[in-house]
Amino acid sequence: MLHHQLAWYIAGPVLGLCVIVVRALFNARLGVTGGYSELVGKAMARSLRVDWRGWFLIGVVLGGTVFAVVAGGPDFHGYGWLTRTFHGGAQALIAPILLIAGVLIGYGAKVAGGCTSGNGLSGNALLSPASLAATATFFGTAIVVSFVIKAII
Amino acid sequence: MRGRVAGLAIGLIFGVTLSWSGMTSPDVIRAALLFEQSYLFLFFAAAVLTATSGTWLLRRIGFRALFTGQRVTWTQDRPARRHIVGSLIFGLGWGIADACPGPIATQVGQGIAWALWTLGGVIIGVVLFLRRQEPETEPATDTLPATAAEPAHVRA
Repeated sequence: MLHHQLAWYIAGPVLGLCVIVVRALFNARLGVTGGYSELVGKAMARSLRVDWRGWFLIGVVLGGTVFAVVAGGPDFHGYGWLTRTFHGGAQALIAPILLIAGVLIGYGAKVAGGCTSGNGLSGNALLSPASLAATATFFGTAIVVSFVIKAII
Repeated sequence: MRGRVAGLAIGLIFGVTLSWSGMTSPDVIRAALLFEQSYLFLFFAAAVLTATSGTWLLRRIGFRALFTGQRVTWTQDRPARRHIVGSLIFGLGWGIADACPGPIATQVGQGIAWALWTLGGVIIGVVLFLRRQEPETEPATDTLPATAAEPAHVRA
C-alpha cells in the first residue's frame, strides 16, 4: 500500500462500531453483500426504491473515493500478484481471472448468507454457529488458495 | 428516508476505514493470507470483539432499535451445507482476487480500473443467485415470527 496504514486497534473497533450502530438503528446485520444484493435485486425489478443496505454499499464506494481524494490517489497501483505475474500479451488474462473470481465471490457469498462482513463481522458478533463455520471455511479456503498460487507462480 | 441517510453515512465511515486500513490493497490481503503480516488478523479480531461486546450489551439492556422500535434480538443459525459450500466458493474467489465485496467497492471508489472486472463478476454472481429464486439468505432485519421469537428472549 502507498499510504499510511491506520493502526489495527483503531480501524478494527471502528468497523465493529459500524456493526453495533446498524444493530442499534435497524436491529439488523451489517453486510456488504446484502448491499450488492439489494441494488442488483432492485435493478432486476426495475425499481429505484433502494433500502438502507443499498445506500450503505453506495456509501462504501464513496468512502473509497473520499479516501483517494484526501490521500492524493488510490492506495495501490497495478493489481497485486496478477499484474506482477502476467506481462505483455499475458496481461489479457487478468480481466477474465478477476471477472471469474468476482462471480465466485458474489455467488458464494450469497449462498453462504454473507461475506467477510455479513458472516465474518456481524454473524460472529452474534456468536452464530453458522457464521463461525462460514468464517473458518472462507478464511481456510483463501489461505490454501494463496499458498497454491504462490507454489505455482 | 432517515434509514437511507444513516445507511449512506455508515457506509462512508466503513469505506474510508477499509481504505485507510490498507484492506483495499490486494498485496496487503495476500501478505496476510500467506501469514507474512499479522495486521489483518489483529484488525479482524478487534472488529469482531468490539461488535460482539456492543451487540450483546444492546440485547442485555433491552435496547429498542431506534428506527424500527423492535427490541434488539436475533437468531443463531445452525451451520448448514450452504454455509460451507458457499464459503468454499467465496474463499476461492477471495484468494484469487485478494479482495472481498467491501474492498472491491472501495477499490472502485478509489478509481482502480481493474476492480471493475471483479465488480462485474460479483454482480453476475448475485444475479445468478437471485435468478434461482431462493429465499433471501441475508434478511434486511432479523424480525422473527412471534412464536419463534420467544426462545431468543429466553436465551438472553
